[in-house]
Amino acid sequence: MKGVLVIGGALLRAVGLVAAIAIVVFLLLRTVPGDVVDVMAAQGDLNAAQQAALRAELGLDGGLLHQFGHWAAALSSGQLGQSLRFGRPVAEMVATALPVTLGFAAMAFALGLVLAMALAIGAVLLPRSMLPGLVEAINLWSIAMPTFVAGMGAILVFSLWLGWLPVIGNLPVPVVILGLDIAGQLAKPLLEELREAMAAPHVRTARAKGLHPVRIALAHVLPAALPVLLALSSVTLAGLIGGTMTMEALFGLPGLGSLVLNAVHGRDLPVVQAVVLVLAVGVVAINAGADALRRLADPRLTS
Amino acid sequence: MNRPLSRRATLGGALGLPFGLAAARAADVPRSGVLKYATLGLDTSDPHRHTGAIGVQQAYVEGLTSIAANGAVEPFLAEAIDISADGRTYTLRLREGVRFHNDDPMTAADVVANLERVKTKIRGGWLTSAMRQAEGFEATDARTVVIRLREPYAPLPSLLSEMWILSPKSPGWDDTITLPIGTGPFTFGEWQPKVRFRAPAFAGYWQAERPYLAAVEFDLRDEADHALALRAGDLHVASVTRDKLRPLLRDPSLSVRPIKDTTWYFTSFNNRSPRAPFDDIRVRQAIAYAIDKRAVMNFVAGQDAIVTNQMVIPGHVYFDQATHDADAHARPDLDRARALLREAGVNPAARRLEVISWQSAYPQVIIQMIKRLGFEVNHVALDDVGAQRRLGQYDWDLALFESGPRADIFLRYVRLMSDGPNPVLWGGIQDPELDALINRAVAEPDEARRKAGYLAAFRRVMEKYYFVVLGHEQSLIVNRAEVEGWEPGFTWSCHWASGGLAGTRLRARA
Repeated sequence: MKGVLVIGGALLRAVGLVAAIAIVVFLLLRTVPGDVVDVMAAQGDLNAAQQAALRAELGLDGGLLHQFGHWAAALSSGQLGQSLRFGRPVAEMVATALPVTLGFAAMAFALGLVLAMALAIGAVLLPRSMLPGLVEAINLWSIAMPTFVAGMGAILVFSLWLGWLPVIGNLPVPVVILGLDIAGQLAKPLLEELREAMAAPHVRTARAKGLHPVRIALAHVLPAALPVLLALSSVTLAGLIGGTMTMEALFGLPGLGSLVLNAVHGRDLPVVQAVVLVLAVGVVAINAGADALRRLADPRLTS
Repeated sequence: MNRPLSRRATLGGALGLPFGLAAARAADVPRSGVLKYATLGLDTSDPHRHTGAIGVQQAYVEGLTSIAANGAVEPFLAEAIDISADGRTYTLRLREGVRFHNDDPMTAADVVANLERVKTKIRGGWLTSAMRQAEGFEATDARTVVIRLREPYAPLPSLLSEMWILSPKSPGWDDTITLPIGTGPFTFGEWQPKVRFRAPAFAGYWQAERPYLAAVEFDLRDEADHALALRAGDLHVASVTRDKLRPLLRDPSLSVRPIKDTTWYFTSFNNRSPRAPFDDIRVRQAIAYAIDKRAVMNFVAGQDAIVTNQMVIPGHVYFDQATHDADAHARPDLDRARALLREAGVNPAARRLEVISWQSAYPQVIIQMIKRLGFEVNHVALDDVGAQRRLGQYDWDLALFESGPRADIFLRYVRLMSDGPNPVLWGGIQDPELDALINRAVAEPDEARRKAGYLAAFRRVMEKYYFVVLGHEQSLIVNRAEVEGWEPGFTWSCHWASGGLAGTRLRARA
């Protein structure tokens, strides 16, 4: 019963958080000057009467409460509405862009996680090798090198000088750039955590028993560092939203980042709201999932 | 460049176009290559609802006329247009053998349905105002359409180049068309707004053996760097700005060509609610005298800059050499500017000039020139929407902007009218006398008299100093060497009767 209450409470908190984000974003977007009719008018062929008529047709002439009521009612029936700029269902636009972002983010995160774990575990096992230095270097890289700068460099080298890869729709390069960035963020704290765990009494016991160092690292040290790794991963995953956006723009990947960027420029508010809602659900789900995994990995958190 | 039709004129057969029909329309014509193309975007799947400049939809929908590369109106889906002596009745003879992408033949009834749709259901766009002047449309037989106007309306043949003919069976016809069924050389394929649009070839296209390409893929991303993509070979044809041009000129696999009509640059005053002292023509003159047009335009377009005081360039049918030669502001004259300010009793140091522009570099050059008169300047550089909003508030003094190519001179003049579309860039002119002059020119069927009418309207603009033209530049399009048979046209259009994508081929890359 207690478990059900805990899960129910967590779910309610998550729903409340998503709803609050959605409302705040709705209100913030209404403070942005201009609307989609201004965007069309700026292209040159709407007179004042036509602009007014178009605003009425699109429901942009109503008050804030009216617009919010209209949007909330549609949302409660599962409708994300129509794009004001392109006249297409927002759900369809999001559904087209979402797999690109998810696939890109998943690949970059997987690469980053594997690389971080490999480097950190290797550095713990071989403290006198170059691996600890490599962890420091990759950490510095992730702090000092903005991903878009690395992206521009990669385009110059691989697309223009060597001619190996296209600029538009190039997935491997941004995955590697973002993967390196993630690895840099994870490897250093993971290494510190592993070093601390190596000094734990149970690890000393395992060593005394003559277990193989790799087995000690994987079976006795890594589990101790898992809660920290999960917490860091959830923060990194949530931060990927911004990271994918710049890479999508640079390499012409048609994901959520490009979608929301264009929607903001075009004042296509239903699209912006839908994407923010999807991202909010994603971030809340990631945090909730990571929290649950941490509790599973570390029973002390639930006791 | 524009050569609108004269009285009783007939459009048709003027061009040696490859209009042999269905004989070679078979699907067995070999088509190859996917052309990657990037100029303008695509904002709607409903061609009748387009706003602004268009550079994509011509691939799958065609107009009754089109604008040739020299700016002349040429026959397209209408192979001939007969204009009555009073300029009020247009009789259109439709081309035979034209089929929609669903294989239905195009009939006069279809064309009338399109005209009615634009007249009754569409709110924005140049054609809506034109169509509202129509008393009626009639399909007198399967290939003849008659348009009857209340008043003569000379721009109609040019504007019919944007009268997109769609099958009334297009899904969404009664509201917003979601899948346009046109007659173009390519069909409406997969569209991802602001990302890409793929247009596969139409095997039943009415021009013999065309198109040669298997498909065209349009890159619609605003934030894309076309120059990099061209160099990497990801794009075959793309627009580029001059600041990205230098490395492209060094690349032997790329060639740069201008589109034929121009973007014109101007300095507008707030004409809707001008604040003192900028309601004084002498002060406006002083500002104009302070600006070195040649220097500004050199900054914008280098050696390609065209400096003049008119909305069109030398060679255009509506260009007037005498007016150009008499340009009082061809060279800056600071002494004259200061004398005018003194005469008007204006102390520039005591007046802050509110200036609006887009976020470009060249307005800074103009600001520095104006500052030499002693004005304190508050320059606000905004994005498209921000500028649109701010300009509409009419709480500024000076606006520094530019405007792109148009299919007809009327589309430049209409913005200067009291109820014209998007008048904010020109300070929201409210001048019934100017309106009357433009209306008189528009209603004049005779070309020479129409030119004189437009010139009279422009002289009033100059006398009143509503705005001052600085000059022109031509936008640039870059082709990769493997592209054959494609040259930029008069506007951003990607397909017209005598050129464009239908006749484009793609060679294998060396």
